[in-house]
Amino acid sequence: MPDAIVIKQLAHTYRGGAPVLHGLDLTIAEGEFVGLIGLSGAGKSTLLRCINGLITPTGGSCIVLGEAVEKMPESERRLLRRRIGMIFQEFNLVDRLTVLKNVLIGRLGYLPTLSSCLHRFPASDVSLARECLAQVGLTEFEGRRVRDLSGGQKQRVAVARTIAQGAKIILADEATANLDVLTKDEIMDLLKDLVRDTGATVLFSMHDIALARRYCTRIIGLKNGAITFDAAPDQLDDAAVADVLARAEHGAMK
Amino acid sequence: MKIIAMLSRLVGFLALAALIVWSFVGMEIDRAHLPTGVAAGFSFVGRMIPHGKADFRYDLSLRDQIMQPLLDTIQMAVVGTVAGAIMAFPMSFFAARTSVFPRSLSAAIKSYLNVSRAIPTIVYALIILSAIGLGKTAGSIAIGYVTFISLSKLYAEALESVSQGPIDAVRASGGNSVQVFVYGMMPQVFPHYLATSLYSFEYNLKDSFIVGIVGAGGLGAQLLDSIHEFKLLDTGVIIALLIVLVNVVDYCSYRVRAVFS
Repeated sequence: MPDAIVIKQLAHTYRGGAPVLHGLDLTIAEGEFVGLIGLSGAGKSTLLRCINGLITPTGGSCIVLGEAVEKMPESERRLLRRRIGMIFQEFNLVDRLTVLKNVLIGRLGYLPTLSSCLHRFPASDVSLARECLAQVGLTEFEGRRVRDLSGGQKQRVAVARTIAQGAKIILADEATANLDVLTKDEIMDLLKDLVRDTGATVLFSMHDIALARRYCTRIIGLKNGAITFDAAPDQLDDAAVADVLARAEHGAMK
Repeated sequence: MKIIAMLSRLVGFLALAALIVWSFVGMEIDRAHLPTGVAAGFSFVGRMIPHGKADFRYDLSLRDQIMQPLLDTIQMAVVGTVAGAIMAFPMSFFAARTSVFPRSLSAAIKSYLNVSRAIPTIVYALIILSAIGLGKTAGSIAIGYVTFISLSKLYAEALESVSQGPIDAVRASGGNSVQVFVYGMMPQVFPHYLATSLYSFEYNLKDSFIVGIVGAGGLGAQLLDSIHEFKLLDTGVIIALLIVLVNVVDYCSYRVRAVFS
């Protein structure tokens, strides 16, 4: 399998803050389902945001789908981001818009600015968005406003949005943290099917160790901005978990 | 530290209590004359209300006199609100504390807005009247300027309360800055913009009465004249119209806000 993400000596320090990432090296192949575990403040979100170029790292390199993100100007990053879906803990949908519109937001990167800002979408994109909604089981909700949905339904809309993007890589930032046990499984199953059907790569930051063991093909432990564990889920024993989640005496804690 | 915090809170509380007591004592309410005063007040209001057919016929006869100034009042409020809102829209982006423009620009604009807001509309009306003369144009400009100032501030506050989440999501799926603005920000601020603009229109209807008093057009002049000339039936009609107008606008704005919430 070709590499989806190659990270070399990645380091990042927020302006006026302590270093968050310290020289990370990481290679993720296409089709992997990677769980990223670690305490809050360990640098998980920062790592994900370096990969899609929302953050420019202060050191090192992220080569995503063969291109070095940190070297790209914003216009090129936009083109790359179309192929990288992102789902969030807080869902981050546009609450006042309909479910269908929120899925269509995944097509914005492919559309001309003027017509898309007038909320005009080509018929082909609308039918694609409907297929994506069918895939996550929300067909009958397309005309509903997002704010009237439950948490699990909202997250399924977010998954449909990344499918509509045609994403090759899906970054999930604690995307199941606000959901109940059964709904967590629904979302994970959707992502697992997506990996199987489209060969997409998933990088999922999470706190739920049991969930990570069940769904991921590989688990990475991040502690104080460095990788301290990287192996298959069956090797993540309780001692390894305790080590990753141990609070260091001098960490990059907030 | 705790003691200092407690002491400063106590001083603040005592100062507030002193202010309230001083204000009420300053009223110099004459208790002996209170009953006759209240009775006089009621009789004043009573004489605004028509009694009998003749009074009603008189009220109706005012129609021609009052209709034009009433329409002027509505026009002033509409023009002032629309012009003020249109100017406030771009201004609010510079006034808001966001990551786009430097903080010093926002601070400078906000202090300008605060200074301008402290001055009542009637003062602006007087200044503009002396520049361009009597009439509703002066009133519209004064109301438009005050609307521009207050909406700039309120719009900016709405922008500052926007949540970053949807903005990140639209950016992360490949949207450009215009698309981020239209899909990530506008849906969040639009209901606030609409509600504050409609509220400002209601407020402007009342303001356009006030500026009329100094001769900037509208019903305000008629209102003041009727009181001075003791034509209290006229006063009653004008006040009734104001009550109806403000409530109709309030109801309409409620319905509009419900649709666009």
